Amino acid sequence: MASLTFTELVEIIMTPSLPVILIGIILILGGPILFHLVLSSSSTYTVPPSVLLLGPDNAGKTALLTLFERGAKPSATHTSQVSHSIELNASTDSVTKASFRNHDDATGTHTKFFLVDTPGHGKLRNVAMGKLARTEKTKAVVFLVDAAALGEQETLAPTAAYLYDVLLFLQKKATSKGKDKASIPVLIAANKMDLFTALPATMVKTHLETELTRIRASRSKGLLDSGVGIDDVGSEEQDGWLGEYGSEKFTFQQMGEFDIDVEVLAGSVLTEEPGADKWWWWIAQRI
Amino acid sequence: MLDAFEVLTTSGVVLWSRTYAPVSPSIVNNFIADTFIEEKTGTIAPTDSQSAATNPAYRSDQHTLKWTFVKELGLIFVVVYRSLLHLSWVDKLVDNIKTIFVELYGEQLTKPHTTLVECHSFGEYFDQQLKELDKSSHAGYISPIDEESASHPAAAGLKYRGHAPNGTAAHDTTSADSTPIQTPNASRPSTPGNLVVAKAGPVAKMSRRARKAHNSGSAPASSGDEALASSRLKKGAKATKKGRKWNAEGFADEEDDDVQLDYSRPSLTSDSEAEAVGRSSALDAVESSTWGSTSKGKFILKDLGDEVHDILASAEAQKAEKAARADTKTGLLGSGVNAISGLFRNVVGGKTLTKEDLDKAMKGMEDHLLRKNVAREAAVRLCEGVEKELVGVKTGNFESINAKIQAAMESSLTKMLTPTSSLDLLREIDSITAPPVTSLRKARPYVISIVGVNGVGKSTNLSKICFFLLQNKYKVLIAAGDTFRSGAVEQLAVHVRNLKELTAREGGKVELYQKGYGKDAAAVAKDAVNHAAQEGYDVVLIDTAGRRHNDQRLMSSLEKFAKFAQPDKILMVGEALVGTDSVAQARNFNAAFGSDRALDGFIISKCDTVGDMVGTLVSLVHATNVPVVFVGVGQHYSDLRNFSVKWAVQKLLSSN
Repeated sequence: MASLTFTELVEIIMTPSLPVILIGIILILGGPILFHLVLSSSSTYTVPPSVLLLGPDNAGKTALLTLFERGAKPSATHTSQVSHSIELNASTDSVTKASFRNHDDATGTHTKFFLVDTPGHGKLRNVAMGKLARTEKTKAVVFLVDAAALGEQETLAPTAAYLYDVLLFLQKKATSKGKDKASIPVLIAANKMDLFTALPATMVKTHLETELTRIRASRSKGLLDSGVGIDDVGSEEQDGWLGEYGSEKFTFQQMGEFDIDVEVLAGSVLTEEPGADKWWWWIAQRI
Repeated sequence: MLDAFEVLTTSGVVLWSRTYAPVSPSIVNNFIADTFIEEKTGTIAPTDSQSAATNPAYRSDQHTLKWTFVKELGLIFVVVYRSLLHLSWVDKLVDNIKTIFVELYGEQLTKPHTTLVECHSFGEYFDQQLKELDKSSHAGYISPIDEESASHPAAAGLKYRGHAPNGTAAHDTTSADSTPIQTPNASRPSTPGNLVVAKAGPVAKMSRRARKAHNSGSAPASSGDEALASSRLKKGAKATKKGRKWNAEGFADEEDDDVQLDYSRPSLTSDSEAEAVGRSSALDAVESSTWGSTSKGKFILKDLGDEVHDILASAEAQKAEKAARADTKTGLLGSGVNAISGLFRNVVGGKTLTKEDLDKAMKGMEDHLLRKNVAREAAVRLCEGVEKELVGVKTGNFESINAKIQAAMESSLTKMLTPTSSLDLLREIDSITAPPVTSLRKARPYVISIVGVNGVGKSTNLSKICFFLLQNKYKVLIAAGDTFRSGAVEQLAVHVRNLKELTAREGGKVELYQKGYGKDAAAVAKDAVNHAAQEGYDVVLIDTAGRRHNDQRLMSSLEKFAKFAQPDKILMVGEALVGTDSVAQARNFNAAFGSDRALDGFIISKCDTVGDMVGTLVSLVHATNVPVVFVGVGQHYSDLRNFSVKWAVQKLLSSN
């Protein structure tokens, strides 16, 4: 057989015989199946749940991410340009369940999840919001705020505007009728408690609520977006009223109407006390 | 010397840093925001594998930042030093550190879902580089700087030559390093098949012979080599000068030759020549180890330096190989297979995009943008940015090039049009007219002034904004700042009369402030603001005379106007109908208010007349980085809209 010349080989292939037909059938049928197997094996079907880190720039999102990953100390960080995710394990029944320093803990059942960092810069807000819209199995949203700078209007206003967009998006998601209907809990993590000017959690909450009320009022009076057509005016979808409709003052409790649970917890990334354990425990419970 | 050196990822994590003096993190943050996110420096999206020398340095008050960027890995290398210092070797340092870091830790960076990179030992490599380059700079200080930098690439390539056959030949490397002139010649005999011949002078040839003899010689010779090396080190200035001379003779072509020579070296055949080189370097290695024991610390440093040179050289060789491969196409069969697999991958995806692949599709995208009335300048730069972003990127499964470009263009446009801060006009007015008690600011009227070219609709849009404010129950004073065109004041008076009638029931209040014609517009505006403050108005809207953007005389009065009226917001009206001229309009108006004041936003008027062709707003934003605030979409007072980025991007990318 080894002495087959090229023409002989072609002749054998071209001559109708049983083996040739069988091989041909196998090739034709098996090819696509093989191809499918190769493609499907490249992507995993089980996607671990995700937790999104949102918030304005310089709030400490990336620092928190590295703290959770490293355990000991966060790495130095600068303004992020792209979103980045890390893999973490959380559990609600192990010894070290309340701490993120659980890398060598073998007790209990650990759930793998992705912690997704997003850029906070104003121009990249759409990247973060896109992540929020597209990330599969988003179990929770952690919205970091800089509690030390929140007393000033220059920080409070953009922070609240961002939070308003996030909450409004989640509210729409929770009220949508489609397949992607989901109620995602929100943790407002008041970071930088180690600084002298930091506001306590309750103050952070009232500041944000007041500011959100103002934003809600001015948005309702503002101009329409350029994308809105004539037919859409006055329709339900365009009505971006956050919280209980017609209410005088916005409170985070109103989000409970849409099964969105909003909690404000204080902590700090850089110091041991009060640390980030409270946030970790909140995340662990939601996964 | 340096204040800090940092290696950070685009996701914001600092992987490695070395700080010599405290540097505020905000400096690097501002650098990232300005260079990468807002692209203020005027350069389009930073591109890969550029040397730090070609990237524009970023300057803050006292510091200068030099940087380079690796796109695939998302790595930024940035060095911070005092602007007062003139460090010519910094570019080289950043480039070398980039090469070394990518070589050592590039693998770790490609792992998904982690930010951990084990690079604790990188400090030693850094110190070695710093020491080496700092030293060379001292020598170089005497000679002109441009020449100094010119000699660098050649030196980097040449380092490889000396010790490639035997990586451990530390001693040989150092001698090769400090005597770059010898090495190109030494490489020649070992590459008989190479077409390219370095145009070295007869003197260099002599030295090659000398070296060859010296290499195949015995121990005494190699000790002589050592002496030579040390003398070279001492006369560092002289050595660099010599190397530079060789390079300067050669110009660009010559450098290419050098690069090709480098590339051919790995295919070293085991002829007698190579054997000789190998033997000699082995001898040298022995020699160097005895020498190293005399000064232990120094020797260890040399060892590390050797590894570093190895890395740098192999990177250089790879680059050369790539270039050579691009030059010499493979045979007919090879190109045929390539073409077929390329076609296949076009459909299936998983294709690594090259400039050639993209060129045609990008041309189509450019034409598409031009059809959408984007100014050519803006379209070309947008496409260049997208192209640079995409070169080297792999397409996804079943993703065509066009889909990829479409997606990249969409994100690029979105990023450009999205304002850095929120543009909620009502909130801003509230914070000025009714400041929070804690801020210690006095309440004053909010001043908006509107500028633009003749006939774009300044007065019309002013009255539209006024209508919007009146609906929100503000007290508005309109100042007739157009004291030039006949009928301008009367036109505003008609608007005010109409608005009064329309909003009488809603509770707003509007008045016209006018001083007739011929007066100085800036003085009128100033008076109007004072008047409004006394009478308790919330907002002052100042109309201005239309002016041609290239009329120096008329434009110069805007600076005085900005100084007198102190507007909180200067909005420029640009019509959607205008074409290429929009870029010049935006630029000139943006620059007209003096050095410390610029435009705050654009109003794009007459959007209803152009349909999908809203390219003007891209041209305007592109030229100035000033956001679009409002969009005029009709003839009525209510036909003013907030600008929606999504809407604009959708219109721009829609086909037909």
